[in-house]
Amino acid sequence: MITTAASWFEKTSLESQVLLLTWAMAEVHVIGQIMGATGFSESSLFCKWGVHTGAAWKLLSGVREGQTQVDTPQIGDMAYWSHPIDLHFATKGLQGWPRLHLQVWSQDSFGRCQLEGYGFCHVPSSPGTHQLDCPTWRPLGSWREQLARAFVGGGPQLLHGDAIYSGADRYRLHTAAGGTVHLELGLLLRHFDRYGVEC
Amino acid sequence: MVSENSHLEDQQEPVQEGSDTRLLSVTSRRGPRSLPPIPSAFRTGFAEFSMRERMREKLQAARSKAESALLQEIPTPRPRRSRSPSEKQVETEFGTEPGREVQRTQLEEDSRDYSRVKFHDSARKIKSKPPVPPGFPSAEEAYNFFTFNFDPEPEESEEKPKAKHRGGTNQEEKEGEEEEPPVREGANKTGEEELLEGKDAEDLLLGLDHADADFVAVRPADYEGVRVRLQMEKELLFTPSRLTVPTYKKLPENVQPRYLEDEGLYIGARPEVPRTNQNIMENRLLTQEPGRRWFGDDGRILALPNPIRPFPSRPPVLTQEQDIKAELETLYTKAVKYIHRSQHMIGSGDPPGNFQLDIDISGLIFTHHPCFSREHVLAAKLAQLYDQYLARRQRNKAKFLTDKLQALRNAVQMGLNPAKSPKSLETTPKAINEYKSEIRQTRRLRDAEQEKDRTLLKTIIKVWKEMKSLREFQRFTNTPLKLVLRREKVDQKADEEAYEAEIQAEIRELLEEHTEDYEQKMEEYRTAHQQWKAWKKAQRAKKKKKKQAVEEHPDEEMEEPDPGETPVKPLPPEPTDRAAIEQQVRERAARSRRRPGEPTLVPELSLAGSVTPNDQCPRGEVLRREDVKRRSLYLKVIFNDKEVSRTDSRPLGADFRVHFGQIFNLQIVNWPESLTLQVYETVGHSGATLLAEVFLPIPETTVVTGRAPIEEVEFSSNQHVTLDHEGVGSGVPFSFEADGSNQLTLMTSGRVSNSVAWAIGENGIPLIPPLSQQNIGFRSALKRADAISSIGTSGLTDMKKLAKWAAESKLDPNDPSNAPLMQLISVATSGESYVPDFFRLEQLQQEFNFVSDEELNRSRRFRLLRLRSQEVPEFRNYKQIPLYDREIMEKVFQDYEKRLRDRNVIETKDHIDINRATVAKYFQQVRDSVINRFLVAKHHFLLSDLIVEEEVPNISILGLSLFKLAEQKRPLRPRRKGRKKVTAQNLSDGDIKLLVNIIRAYDIPVRKPTTSKFQQPSRSSRAFGEKHAASPTARSPTHSADYPLGQVLVRPFVEVSFQRTICHTTTAEGPNPSWNEELELPFRAPNGDYSTTSLQSVKDDVFINIFDEVLQDVLEDDRERGSGIHTRIERHWLGCVKIPFSTIYFQARIEGTFKIDTPPVLLGYSKERSVIAERGFDSVRSLSEGSYITLFITLEPQLVPGESVREKFDSQEDEKLLQATEKFQAECALKFPNRQCLTTVIDISGKTVFITRYLKPLNPPQELLNAYPNNPQATAELVARYVSLIPFLPDSVSFAGICDLWSTSDQFLDLLAGDEEEHAVLLCNYFLSLGKKAWLVMGSAIPEGPTAYVLTREQSHYLIWNPCSGHFYGQFDTFCPLKSVGCLIGPDNIWFNIQRYDSPLRINFDVTKPKLWKSFFSRSLPYPGLSSVQPEELIYQRTDKVAAAELQDRIEKILKEKIMDWRPRRLTRWNRYCASTLRHFLPLLERSQGEGAEDDHRAELLRQLGDYRFSGFPLHMPYSEVKPLIEAVYSTGVHSIDAPNAEFALAVYIHPYPKNVLSVWIYVASLIRNR
Repeated sequence: MITTAASWFEKTSLESQVLLLTWAMAEVHVIGQIMGATGFSESSLFCKWGVHTGAAWKLLSGVREGQTQVDTPQIGDMAYWSHPIDLHFATKGLQGWPRLHLQVWSQDSFGRCQLEGYGFCHVPSSPGTHQLDCPTWRPLGSWREQLARAFVGGGPQLLHGDAIYSGADRYRLHTAAGGTVHLELGLLLRHFDRYGVEC
Repeated sequence: MVSENSHLEDQQEPVQEGSDTRLLSVTSRRGPRSLPPIPSAFRTGFAEFSMRERMREKLQAARSKAESALLQEIPTPRPRRSRSPSEKQVETEFGTEPGREVQRTQLEEDSRDYSRVKFHDSARKIKSKPPVPPGFPSAEEAYNFFTFNFDPEPEESEEKPKAKHRGGTNQEEKEGEEEEPPVREGANKTGEEELLEGKDAEDLLLGLDHADADFVAVRPADYEGVRVRLQMEKELLFTPSRLTVPTYKKLPENVQPRYLEDEGLYIGARPEVPRTNQNIMENRLLTQEPGRRWFGDDGRILALPNPIRPFPSRPPVLTQEQDIKAELETLYTKAVKYIHRSQHMIGSGDPPGNFQLDIDISGLIFTHHPCFSREHVLAAKLAQLYDQYLARRQRNKAKFLTDKLQALRNAVQMGLNPAKSPKSLETTPKAINEYKSEIRQTRRLRDAEQEKDRTLLKTIIKVWKEMKSLREFQRFTNTPLKLVLRREKVDQKADEEAYEAEIQAEIRELLEEHTEDYEQKMEEYRTAHQQWKAWKKAQRAKKKKKKQAVEEHPDEEMEEPDPGETPVKPLPPEPTDRAAIEQQVRERAARSRRRPGEPTLVPELSLAGSVTPNDQCPRGEVLRREDVKRRSLYLKVIFNDKEVSRTDSRPLGADFRVHFGQIFNLQIVNWPESLTLQVYETVGHSGATLLAEVFLPIPETTVVTGRAPIEEVEFSSNQHVTLDHEGVGSGVPFSFEADGSNQLTLMTSGRVSNSVAWAIGENGIPLIPPLSQQNIGFRSALKRADAISSIGTSGLTDMKKLAKWAAESKLDPNDPSNAPLMQLISVATSGESYVPDFFRLEQLQQEFNFVSDEELNRSRRFRLLRLRSQEVPEFRNYKQIPLYDREIMEKVFQDYEKRLRDRNVIETKDHIDINRATVAKYFQQVRDSVINRFLVAKHHFLLSDLIVEEEVPNISILGLSLFKLAEQKRPLRPRRKGRKKVTAQNLSDGDIKLLVNIIRAYDIPVRKPTTSKFQQPSRSSRAFGEKHAASPTARSPTHSADYPLGQVLVRPFVEVSFQRTICHTTTAEGPNPSWNEELELPFRAPNGDYSTTSLQSVKDDVFINIFDEVLQDVLEDDRERGSGIHTRIERHWLGCVKIPFSTIYFQARIEGTFKIDTPPVLLGYSKERSVIAERGFDSVRSLSEGSYITLFITLEPQLVPGESVREKFDSQEDEKLLQATEKFQAECALKFPNRQCLTTVIDISGKTVFITRYLKPLNPPQELLNAYPNNPQATAELVARYVSLIPFLPDSVSFAGICDLWSTSDQFLDLLAGDEEEHAVLLCNYFLSLGKKAWLVMGSAIPEGPTAYVLTREQSHYLIWNPCSGHFYGQFDTFCPLKSVGCLIGPDNIWFNIQRYDSPLRINFDVTKPKLWKSFFSRSLPYPGLSSVQPEELIYQRTDKVAAAELQDRIEKILKEKIMDWRPRRLTRWNRYCASTLRHFLPLLERSQGEGAEDDHRAELLRQLGDYRFSGFPLHMPYSEVKPLIEAVYSTGVHSIDAPNAEFALAVYIHPYPKNVLSVWIYVASLIRNR
């Protein structure tokens, strides 16, 4: 009797362990904000942002993409958006770690919008709070387009937005530097140690 | 060893002899440093010899040790090989160094070296050839490879074989070793001595460091001579020859190559491979693999037609440009005003811009024109025929078929003699049969084709002849056409032979066929014959039998053999006659084929002829020519029915051709609907006439400029033209014959050659409007096709389907046009490769996964999180989700999974009757789909949603508020202050309260004294006749007498129940009580979700029940009366008011006097008119019966009601109409912002529909019409009652947070649920069909708020109908719930109320007065005759009576169970006798619609249940589901009687109306036996 009880205990505890192990998936919380941007030539800026992940990642909750308000700084030259980012991912692999891609746009006095820069940065992979600076660039276009941009606004844009974060051969692209987008991201990782990932 | 070796200064000797690498390295080390071994010349002698000896021995030792390694290892020779040139270099360096003593010797060596190089081959041969043990040659060779660099010193070369000799056997070698040591020592010593000397010399000469030279070796770069390498490679590598391999080598012996292609079988195009490569491959295959399995029957390497994979392994790139560059393409976008619609970033809106369609009009050719002369007609015909001929010749179908026939014959031959080829093993007799039938068919086809060819040729010649004769006849020529028939000589003999052979083959086949046929027939015949014989025999036997009988009746004999039954004696089939067949075949051949030896005729049409000049022509002709000259043509390009451009006007040429050669670039914005060219002709200076219209197809999106072929589009016109000259006219009969016979009528016709294509932009992007621009509707099919073409058809085609189709349609695999298809199919059906429907971007993902997908999906926590974020109703409001999976119970998902599972399963548990269950299901589905559609829209916010901006006070407001400060305070006139509204996001349970102010009630029924049996007759007799006119005086005396304990008439109190919370007021007294109490009820949102949408969908009702509190004396013993009071409080339900929560939510507050919904029969109570009459209300009140209650209901805090979706909906209405509606509404809103004005509504599919389309006369059920055939008013009431019996379900509940959706009447009747609008529309339609003047009234009423009523015009007055209750009110009825009228809607117009007042009491309903009613359609905008969205006719099914009865029983059972459940502490007794009485009574109530049966009923009841104290009432409801019924019964509180001896009675009656509309009556009563 005693032996059977013991074995039963062993079995159940083993099972529960197994359950614990198998059903505890790695999770990543990204909580933070897009603080703002500096160094852009225009003043009324807003930012469209999106998070791109690999196939192994599942968004449990939160919004993947969004757009900030238009901020016109009154003091200083930093446009503050303080746009919240709150994402919760589950993952079954490290590949395709979430990356943020940003588009900074400016709005002129006529209410027209034009592109100021594309930016991209990976979400940090260590837990804690991170201050990120994401430099941006924008396609330069031909001299004609540059001229047009200088006088009537508008400007060349990427036809395929995924070139921002994909590793396409960008050497053909002529770009001009834009300003920097400042981000503050807090990361919470969970269960990564179970899979041998140290963080 | 190193030190030893390094001392060696003589390069030549050790290198020559020792194959030891170290030795060699030493020597080579010296080279680059150009260390001159000065004493080399002198230093020969002993040291040298001993060294040599030693080295040799060492070499032998090394060899013996690793003999096998030396032999096999290829690496070993490599270093050696590479050394030799460096040696050479060393030497040459030496040679060039001046001032050295060595120079001379080196030079000598050099020269020697060269010479040696020359014959090193021979030397090697000599060296290697000598008797060497069998394992050695390779080492030997290796050895030689470097040794050849050096002087072939005679002694050395002599010695070498010797050394080899010695080393050859181990024995010898060992001996040598044993002998050596002393010698070696000696040698060492001497060597060292020498070394010292040498070193000194070196030092002296070069001043080099000792140590360096000792330990560091300088090596030249390893290099190996090209030749040597070649040599080596020659032995190692195999270079196949590039020469063509003769075919016989590639085929099995004595087999002729067989070319399938020549046999007519289709062979796909082989991939292009250079001939030399093929040769190399063939040579290699032949030498390496002697088998011939790589070669096909034709001696060529087997190859797939096209080895390229038929489908890409990458997903098709969507852009036309396959370039990688495309990904980085930038587009200059103008700074455009941002549209807030597409707010999300990725895939931002379509690139705006212009799109361009290039239309190239190159020219026009008339195939007939009125100005054609007869000759022209013929010429056109000839040209046409010639074109046909050319086309036919190009296709050469006859030849193809002939080849095919040949191939098939061959195949059959092969099949018959399987020995001939190994392949034919597969060909079964079945295949042969198939071939044969194929042959037959092909032959027939070929014959037909040949015949056609021949007739065509004949026709051409005939027409040409006609033309020639015509030219001769008219003596001038009009056309330059000239036909030349070229004869091609043929070899008569060969031709004849071929002809004969063909005929013979055909005859043979035919014969075969016939014999087959014959045999078959023969077989048939035999069986038939057998049968016949058997029959005959039987017949004979019969005859014999009958003969005796027949003899007596000879005339009967004739009748006996029934002609129908007698099997005719079968005739044996005739054997085929060869001669006849031959005859046949020959005839056919003669008809369709070229006779043998007859030359082939090749017609050639040329324009070489000359046209007769004008002056030689007759007058008619000249006139015609001039007419032609005067004509000119131009084309108009019509795009989407608008002329966009036109070509230049060009004169018509004498050959009736017009060349335009113009390209029009159409900059377009919209997707092209139509593209038309109009051909205009101008004659002289007169106006242009439209000749014809040419409709051009709109190009596929793949057709872009540069790729579009020039196409010819034919056109024709039905114009009739008669001309007074030689021109034949158009549409006019004419003839070529002189006698006018054989008339022809030709219409003007021609061809326009053009091409239409999409232009390509500067950056190579086709300027095609995006698909979204294309209008929806009928073009959706095209759109889809386009989508496919842009993605790539191959990627989307369903292979299996295709293969199936191919198998079914029996494609000819040999037809070249089917080739790609067959290829595709073979790939698809072989199954070895399938088209992947996915493309893996991260190939290695699998390897790096932590866990598998299934496990990820199994995680309950993740699932819960995901479902929550997807806003799945069940999980939407989960506030916190446990951190660990184990804390989440599987139970959580059960409901959800069940719902998913049951989506298509109809659950009949909740809905007792099946029809409702299906409807509910359907309703749910509609709801789901609508909600999904608006899910996105719901997430769009406006600025006002996010930002609350207090209005900046302007001067007027400031002034007002200042003025208010000075205002007198009037504390006795309190004003209601606007409360601050709260948005519903930060709320939680308990924050919201429902405040119900019960103010007062009027006219509550009063108790009737419990009558004893003897009083009964008189009372009932009185009650029968006078229903309403009970005289107060007659009754008043009884009052005081009948009430024991001095109870008043009635002690009503109000109980408010909401979400099962119950509050009640204090008890007031009298039929007109005044409570003035505020009740507070907590509100709980479903699932704790306080979002707007969820609040809107709260389905709960507020029940306001009025009860009478009755004190019942329960004292058992009269004697105790003095000392104690034992009474029981009983409450009797008097009536209720039901207000849906959604109404309160949307109205924010509800205030007013409401009619109490009292049961038609209230046992034990009666209306006491007398009492009211005393108060002077009489004049007003008595107009309507019933009791009223004044209420004020609100929510605390006030919630902001959700707004309806701001989406603009699609509409199929005319754009103009929509604009007009907007304008109309804006105008109305400007004048009277509070009045409801409705012009368009949203139908159930989410489309905007003009409101009048809903109104149309619709037939009510015939059953209702038949009820009161002579009483239109009664019929109308019945119809209204029918409509009111359809359950009410507000839209805000069913389509939470969306908007009001209007369903049409048939949808409404199918769904059996709808809100006021649907009821009103249906009722209005019924009234219209009854011939009444009826309108829809949009206004507001209490308690519903904005609602729809129906207004009808009777003879002199207007009636207002409440469609949901079926009641109607006069226009001047003060108790009419409709409080304001916004607009009236008729079937053809909308009238907006522009009168000063909107209360129905005070307005005039005469819509013809434009000052009072602003109409939508007026003179400026006439009614366009909009078609109705309603069906033509409503079809009513009779409701199944049996099902209704069954439902009735079930409801009764359920309710009984429920009542028992509600009384857990008491025994519930059912009085069956009473129940049956009640059951009997309910149908009567239904018949009388609950009116005027009260007294009758009471009398009846009293007679039967006289000794019971009875309280009860019938409830009446439309039936939707069981739950509301239960709720209603519960709210009456009948079950709450606590008397121990109480008995209950319950009866249910369901009256079925057509279309499954059910009227439910529930009679509940409690009985207490009187003692």
